[in-house]
Amino acid sequence: MMPSYFQITPTLSEFHWDMEVSDELLQRQLALKVKLEEKFQQEIIDIRIGFKSLGISWKKEMLIDRWFEKNEIDFQSITLSSKIWKIPVCYDEAHGKDLLSLASSKNIEPQKLIHLHSTPEYRIHFFGFLPGFMYLEGLNPLLHSPRKKIPELSIEPGSVAIGGSQTGIYPSASPGGWHIIGQTPISLFDPTAFPPVFASPGDKIKFISIDKEEFNELKRNPSKPSYQ
Amino acid sequence: MKRELAELTVIKTGPGTSIQDLGRIGFSGFGVPVSGAMDAFAMKWVNYLLGSSENAAVIETLQPGLKLQFNAPTKICVGGALAKIKLNENLISLDKVIPVESGDILEIGAQTLGAINYIGIEGGFQTDEILGSRSFYQGITSISQLSKGNNLSYFKGKSSSITKGAKVKISRDYLEDEVLEVYKGPEWRFLDTESKEALNSSTFTLSKLLNRMAFQIEELVPNLLQEMATAPVYPGTVQLTSGGKLIVLMKDAQVTGGYPRVLQLPEKSIAQLSQKRAGSKFRFKIK
Repeated sequence: MMPSYFQITPTLSEFHWDMEVSDELLQRQLALKVKLEEKFQQEIIDIRIGFKSLGISWKKEMLIDRWFEKNEIDFQSITLSSKIWKIPVCYDEAHGKDLLSLASSKNIEPQKLIHLHSTPEYRIHFFGFLPGFMYLEGLNPLLHSPRKKIPELSIEPGSVAIGGSQTGIYPSASPGGWHIIGQTPISLFDPTAFPPVFASPGDKIKFISIDKEEFNELKRNPSKPSYQ
Repeated sequence: MKRELAELTVIKTGPGTSIQDLGRIGFSGFGVPVSGAMDAFAMKWVNYLLGSSENAAVIETLQPGLKLQFNAPTKICVGGALAKIKLNENLISLDKVIPVESGDILEIGAQTLGAINYIGIEGGFQTDEILGSRSFYQGITSISQLSKGNNLSYFKGKSSSITKGAKVKISRDYLEDEVLEVYKGPEWRFLDTESKEALNSSTFTLSKLLNRMAFQIEELVPNLLQEMATAPVYPGTVQLTSGGKLIVLMKDAQVTGGYPRVLQLPEKSIAQLSQKRAGSKFRFKIK
């Protein structure tokens, strides 16, 4: 399926795909991104990706609808990454204060919730919301949960949470309305490094359940996450 | 040769005072907001008058009441809102390059038109540059706003009594202009006639909820649209929440959002809006 093209302002434009969020769609978005960066490297300020869209900021007025109509993009030109990052998460109540209430609202054992959350491999679609926040796809529908009616004023960095049909990790302290079910001791965003994040859109992540002692040990001796 | 650094000290400030340049360009892919001066127009003028680069870091004030003391000579220039600016108790002009000496005290007083002032300094402020920018942002720079006692580095200059810039007359008409030119956002086409009409012809009022991330508008606009799959947003994107609230994203806004994006302000209109105060009236002129 071809995306539609929309010119927002003379220097902002957007492609939109009217299809379900999937690996296939992400592959199309990333293939188009590569192609645009190849062709318009000098003209582009940056490219932002959403679940179903791709936005371009241009240095100067730019219309590329004609170019897009004439040039077939080979959406098979890239394959999605096979990297799977292992993210240690402590699901203990001390680190996941909403775990018990969320499990009980779903009528499942806390252990079952942890199992359902740490079994899938989640695909990273893009970064947004906060520096280093990964938008992940793949949460088990059994764990989908409406956001809290009143957001918390401050959520600790590293908090692993569920909101709506998504799960994510707060990279920095922030207000937020998601249910906190655990915490990772690893750092998700380092502004002094380049790139400031370890993973890329298209990679996958998997949550590895750790106990409080392992959490504290990893806090004392921080290490970068590994992948397979 | 490396130039010798000097420092100024913040004696007094209201909330929201920060260092800004033109922002972090090209890091949105990591979820990093662009930041940068809200009224980029006024900020660039200040740097132009000083002969600094366009991107040189300046102080941005969101309220009157800033008081600074310099510990070495340099040249400064204040731009933006019409305000009472004093150097050692004497009124000084906006848009003029003013020499300062060690011990001098600069005060930004009451504003008569506009809301934001920029204080530029010869060569720009030399705070840490992180991810290509000195613009303050929580979690990226070590502080997110200035407070009493903070020191800021700048290049030590020579003593001078020459005041430059008398010939430049910068128009401040935009500070009074109540019409904001805007473009249709990606979700405009899904709005019903009533909502479109409301955006087209209503007079809106700025609420008290104004910060570098977003400006909220008092009046509600009927909205039947659902939240949508998270999509790119930019400074100047006008979001319409499910409750009908209009939120104009400003320079520290996140890079993606889930509310329908009904309008988009270009840079000029962002500058214009950023200079309005709570309670100001304005209309959209949709292109």
